[in-house]
Amino acid sequence: MNATSSLAWRSLRHRPLAATATFVAVLLGAALIGSFATLVESASGARGTDADTLVIMGAVVGGWGAVIVLFSVASTVGITATQRAAEIGLVRTIGATPRQARKLIVRETAVVAGTAAVAGAATALGAGRLLFDLLQSGGLITSRTQYGGGPVSVAAGAALVLLASSIASAVAARKATRGPAGVLVQSSAAEQSRMAWWRVAIALLLIGYGIAMAVITIAVTAHDADPYAAMSTSGSSSILVGVGLAVLAPVLLRWCATPIGRLVGPFGASGHLASYNTARRAHLLAGVLAPVIVLTSAAVGTLMLVNIDARSLPAGTPDSDTINLLNNVVVGMISLFAAIMVVNAFVATIAHRRAELHRLHLLGATARQVRGSVVGEAAIVAAVGVLLGTLASLATVVPFTVARDEGVVPDGGLWLVPAVVAGVVAVTLGAARGAARSAGNPMVSGAVR
Amino acid sequence: MSTPSNPAAPALAVHDLTRTYGTGDATIAALGGIDLAFRRGTFTAVMGPSGSGKSTLLACAAGLDRPTSGRIAIGGEDVTDWDEERRTRLRRERIGFVFQAFHLMPYLSVTQNVGLPARLAGKRPDRARVRDLIARVGLADRAHHLPGSLSGGQQQRVAIARALVCQPDVVLADEPTGALDSATARQILDLLRSSVTDPQGPSQTVVMVTHDPVAASYADEVVFLVDGRVAGRMTHPTADAVAGQMAHLDDLVVAR
Repeated sequence: MNATSSLAWRSLRHRPLAATATFVAVLLGAALIGSFATLVESASGARGTDADTLVIMGAVVGGWGAVIVLFSVASTVGITATQRAAEIGLVRTIGATPRQARKLIVRETAVVAGTAAVAGAATALGAGRLLFDLLQSGGLITSRTQYGGGPVSVAAGAALVLLASSIASAVAARKATRGPAGVLVQSSAAEQSRMAWWRVAIALLLIGYGIAMAVITIAVTAHDADPYAAMSTSGSSSILVGVGLAVLAPVLLRWCATPIGRLVGPFGASGHLASYNTARRAHLLAGVLAPVIVLTSAAVGTLMLVNIDARSLPAGTPDSDTINLLNNVVVGMISLFAAIMVVNAFVATIAHRRAELHRLHLLGATARQVRGSVVGEAAIVAAVGVLLGTLASLATVVPFTVARDEGVVPDGGLWLVPAVVAGVVAVTLGAARGAARSAGNPMVSGAVR
Repeated sequence: MSTPSNPAAPALAVHDLTRTYGTGDATIAALGGIDLAFRRGTFTAVMGPSGSGKSTLLACAAGLDRPTSGRIAIGGEDVTDWDEERRTRLRRERIGFVFQAFHLMPYLSVTQNVGLPARLAGKRPDRARVRDLIARVGLADRAHHLPGSLSGGQQQRVAIARALVCQPDVVLADEPTGALDSATARQILDLLRSSVTDPQGPSQTVVMVTHDPVAASYADEVVFLVDGRVAGRMTHPTADAVAGQMAHLDDLVVAR
């Protein structure tokens, strides 16, 4: 074992908690993608509609899940690595080259992600069979078809997640070692660096694609004889636009936090602090905003889609049952991941700001005021997130209601919007409260500094 | 906005203050029985080698750490047994802090940082007073800047304005010039000095912990701590005299 590897190993053993977020994201990611991949593998041994169902379920639903999973794994790994800027600075000050420092981050991530991916793949073997049995007992697959999932599909799923995590850690490592070496991290927060051009390009591409699909739905597929043609073009639009907006989260938060922060501002010292922190350090909280947007847009968009579909078509056809099940699986999966990401992101940002929160305490803020400011920030982020997420969900809802002849506004199911919004806000505030509390009682350290 | 307190009593007084860490054989006495009173309108430097108990003294006085035994009085009021809630209020209303690392909130402007203690106390900052203080520390033209765009000396001046905003009984400064170059350090020390002697404003009381004999020479009096005990005092200090005394602290200990 060379110096970098052994340092990476020691650093991990020293702080198992820091690696937990990455571990959980990769484990669940590999398990989910892997179990859907087993369906595709099973399809090769099936015939007729069974093969179609398995491929659609595995590739389409699994594919969409994979986009969300990879996004969440990448952002978790990124947040975890960025948090350690000070430590990386220290290692470099005492003589590590940028290359060695990068290796340290990449290897550490590789150890954690590798272990998690193996565990995830093992889980996928069981979960894939469970999923298959579920489809079969639901009558979506005939009993003639046998489960054919094996190590190949499960390993492919794990490899995909590993690839995403290593790319993310390489990008984060490059970012952490770009500047000159130094222990002092700029606590200045006005460092609202401009967004990289490729990030803006990706965001615009995703949003543009989502809107284009919406337009195609209204212009073309709405008139198709197959009622599901409109669903296939509009169903993913809300997710596309949502992920696109999530990529732009730092900029959007900076723009939206000021007007929304004014509403929170009057709520005492905590509100005052929260409103300025979200507006002036949008880059810190953008990691939390991104999953909130995706969670809202995917949940509102897809649940409304299912609702409109159930209302506008004669129910009970086997087709509609399958499709509703698929849609609900997608919503469930995305919600689970987005919720994990919200919690992860909060834990990460709060751990990063422990010193700063302690500073407030030194100046005479009560523990309640300190926690209040963190929850206030969460409230602003949640408000901005559900607003943008609901906006993104329109990319699915509007074209699909038009396609099903309900006009621009759906005839029913509007209660789903406040229900999802309430759920998302509860998750965000809960994550913030938990993170603020686990940041610990600042009184433990008696030091004045 | 500070609670009225007895004007005749010392701004800060500690009586037979001890603080020990650990138990059994591993017991370390950071403070071994200290008696000190800091009169109103005085500037005192607390000096001593590392581990002499300087920072522990400050932490106890500020209610950040609980003494093992002894009493602490702020403005004549015994605060030793106050609970966490009251000590927090004490910190923001009757004690001003100046730290080595400035400790400004990075996302608040200069004006907002200076007004923060009032906000934490649930009040609206007195705009005129905040503006005056910012002008007094020479940052009138930077009032709306964020700390990240200020130099270290400018940030420390903001911190001093923040410490003075509540007209505290006592300003506790922990190595306030430790992170600054010598020219900037002189400006900061002049500023602390003027807060004590300023004939216009209400005169403040400053207790400053420092390693630096030059910094200590700005004070009215220097208190030397060694091994958690007061080892000597010096009035009208000069940098040379303080440095000489620091070099012979062992003699003071023997003399005791």
